[in-house]
Amino acid sequence: MTRGTIRTSAAGIAALALLVLAAQSGWAQEAAAAGPREYGSFPWIGSRTAIWIAAEVHLMFAAFVLGVPMFAVVAEAIGIFGGDERYDRLSKEFTRLLLIAYSATAMWGAVLVFLLTTLYPRFWAHMTEIFEVSMWIYVGLFFVESFTLYLYYYGWERWKQGRAKLGHWTLGILLNVWGTAVLFIADSWLTYMMSPPADVTPDTSPAMVQAWSAFANATWMPINIHRLIANVVFGGSIVAAYAGYRFLSAKTDDERAHYDWMGYVGNFIAIGALIVLPFAGYYLGREIYEYNQQMGITMMGGFMSWLWIIQAFLIGVLFLAGNYYLWVGMGRIPGAERFLPYTKWMLFVLIIGVIVWSTPHTMIADRAELEAMGGSHHPFLGVLGVMSAKNTAVNLMILTTFLSFLMYRRANRRPVVGWARTGTILQAGLFVIAAAVVLFYGVYGYFVSAIVRIGFSVYQVLAVLATIIGVMALDVAMLRGSESRGEIRWGQMPPRSQYALFVLVVTFTWLMGLMGFARSGIRQHWHVWEVMRDTSQWAATPALGFAAQIISVCVIIFLGMISFIFWLGGLVEKPQLVPKGR
Amino acid sequence: MWGTNLKILGVVLGTIAVYTLLANAIPQIESEVPEELSFTGEVSAEELIDAGEQLYAGAGGCTACHGLGTRAPNLLTAQGSEGPIGARCGNRVPGEDCKTYLHRSMVEPNAHVVDGFQPIMPDMSRTLSDAQIWSMIAYLQSQGGEVTVTSSDLAAAAPDAASAAGGAAAGPSATTDPEALLRELQCVACHKLGAEGQEVGPPFDGIGARLSPDEIRGAILDPAATVSPGYEQFAGVMPPNFGSRLTAAQLEALVGYLAERR
Ligand code: HEC
Ligand code: HEC
Repeated sequence: MTRGTIRTSAAGIAALALLVLAAQSGWAQEAAAAGPREYGSFPWIGSRTAIWIAAEVHLMFAAFVLGVPMFAVVAEAIGIFGGDERYDRLSKEFTRLLLIAYSATAMWGAVLVFLLTTLYPRFWAHMTEIFEVSMWIYVGLFFVESFTLYLYYYGWERWKQGRAKLGHWTLGILLNVWGTAVLFIADSWLTYMMSPPADVTPDTSPAMVQAWSAFANATWMPINIHRLIANVVFGGSIVAAYAGYRFLSAKTDDERAHYDWMGYVGNFIAIGALIVLPFAGYYLGREIYEYNQQMGITMMGGFMSWLWIIQAFLIGVLFLAGNYYLWVGMGRIPGAERFLPYTKWMLFVLIIGVIVWSTPHTMIADRAELEAMGGSHHPFLGVLGVMSAKNTAVNLMILTTFLSFLMYRRANRRPVVGWARTGTILQAGLFVIAAAVVLFYGVYGYFVSAIVRIGFSVYQVLAVLATIIGVMALDVAMLRGSESRGEIRWGQMPPRSQYALFVLVVTFTWLMGLMGFARSGIRQHWHVWEVMRDTSQWAATPALGFAAQIISVCVIIFLGMISFIFWLGGLVEKPQLVPKGR
Repeated sequence: MWGTNLKILGVVLGTIAVYTLLANAIPQIESEVPEELSFTGEVSAEELIDAGEQLYAGAGGCTACHGLGTRAPNLLTAQGSEGPIGARCGNRVPGEDCKTYLHRSMVEPNAHVVDGFQPIMPDMSRTLSDAQIWSMIAYLQSQGGEVTVTSSDLAAAAPDAASAAGGAAAGPSATTDPEALLRELQCVACHKLGAEGQEVGPPFDGIGARLSPDEIRGAILDPAATVSPGYEQFAGVMPPNFGSRLTAAQLEALVGYLAERR
């Protein structure tokens, strides 16, 4: 420090001494900046990517451990009330998978929390100040949930008979109650980030935010519902893939029969829940629009518009793979031959659906149209224009998939009721009406303005829903006491069908990662939308290509870990098999 | 068995690869962060218009609604029988000149809702700073009208620019971009940076050759402690409070940046 004239006043010397000391010992910055640091930094991949992977993989595990208990408990109930022992076994096997996946979920949760506190301290401080109470309850529920799970699994054989079995089943229900509560609490945090109550502004001190209004914010319920259903889909598809793997590596016919059946059930659950998922999606989308138009528009027409094309492609793959699996499976059902000729037409509808839904051609035509109207500089708005076509395609695909299930149900049965013929004609009529309604509004949509057109999707959805319900009701009544055309030959399934299950699980997992990106990406450069800005170097929201790479990494980590976990589970316990068929 | 395992692995990785490639094959659009504007002194209309145009077409998010013709009125092109926004802004509300009208449209969008549209236009002061809003107003005025936004509009807005920028806990903004900081904190009002700025204190060019990073940090945190040779008559002029206005990250960014200027 030789530069300049040094002031001779005592204060100057003191200040200088302090400064030299401070500068050398390096605490000058902390002392001067007065306040905690705002961001940490993570080596190599950076904070954003680190937190992204931690959150996504945690979420995948969480979705699995929340989804599986739902159908474990249903399967157990079928076992108890329907008297089918196979379902009880199935339920126990689900739960065994759950047990090990549970600790992986907790581990990734810990990783996420530690990364949040170290990399995003300012944001984390904001969140904890608002949500502290719910955070305590959250960890409390963890204990309760874990112990319920232990009791549920380890008490299985002990409480197997009579009243004790009902008690055991109640444990399963409780497990779901805790799991749902945990989900709802976590959802409140992330939906707050998306849609904080309108009276919270950048100047609001977190201490002044009303905890409940932050908790039950605008998108909380829609996300809750969307996630509950998606978890079932996800859990089902993982169970199906697990069964697929065990089927392929099975040594005995009994084993093959068991895992063939398990794969079928898993797939049934996944596709069945998938069919209602778009409706939950509409609900969520509507709430987002209602909360903030700009956010909704950014989501559907802004920089994210291409995301929906990719999503459409993935959903197309799901429908194709799911239906393919069902069709191949008809080979093991006596009497299913009579339906086989129809499958090629259904395939045709599905493929057209996928093409319409994910084609960019219509988009370009539409853009030209817009420009002719004196329009947009924004190259991607055209997507909105094809919403009509997209909705039409997805609704027809849902109908087709439902038809596949119906054929599956019907394959080895012969109705005995007198009105069976009329009933079938009625069912066919319902299908035709639904398809006509969907098509009519799809085409009509091109002749009306966007505002009116959005309303049309509701009619399309209602027509499809009504048909599914009506046809199912008819079917149940019609098959009452029906004759069998022969037992399903479980286990007699060509191996290629099982690969469809793997495609399904990868696609679901990837889709979940994609939707996660969409959900948190629409916040753009905000930690908390219009309340807390992301001022870190990672504030910009990356393009889809980069996002896809991260999503793929998450999917590989998750699938890798879960395979390892299942493999471990297989070492511990050989499942007891129940002889096929009943 | 290993054959089967490999096949499964192939199917899994193959599917993942297809999705990844697909997502990389489409147009790659990033959602940018609206760039904070920091004009100092006189700003030319061109500068404002330029900045405004970039925001309008990019990070400002306006084109999500404007330009479609149905959701929101066209701004750059004629809307119905009226001309583009710069031409029609003065006739919208009696007694409100173009500039006032546009400003109100942005920060109080529901004060006057254009006939035939819904009140969905967001209040832009929630997301954009005043400098950003004014530059966009200048840009809109340039679309068929006369630009009347000047530096005085920006200056009038300056005091609450910090709160409008929102969210940032400390300092005027939370950017860690050193050049932006030098302008924002008005360092360039007293230090020359290249051709920019006044020479009250020592120029920043070559400062890294004269001072070590520790000395630079010291000079910012406690300017009174040492006085640069040749600038004795200005001793005490440099504000002593930058230490409390900067975050640690910002301070380090500045020190690092200045130390690099050899
Ligand atoms: C969510 C959709 C939406 C977004 C985003 C949006 N606007 Fe608007 N804007 C509207 C609508 C709708 C109107 C007409 C109704 C009204 O006046 O409020 C409008 C009106 C206006 C007007 C008055 C137009 C006239 O003819 O008098 C201006 C100026 C304007 N917007 C500028 C902007 C700018 C600049 C941006 C970007 C920073 C922007 N808007 C972003 C929807 C939007
Ligand atoms: C009001 C005028 C003024 C402003 C604003 C100002 N400075 Fe200074 N600065 C001075 C003067 C005068 C000196 C030289 C006298 C002294 O050292 O006290 C100086 C000295 C310095 C030095 C030591 C230079 C050397 O070569 O010894 C550094 C480094 C510095 N300033 C950085 C900054 C930074 C960074 C900012 C903005 C955060 C800033 N100054 C804002 C007036 C100012």
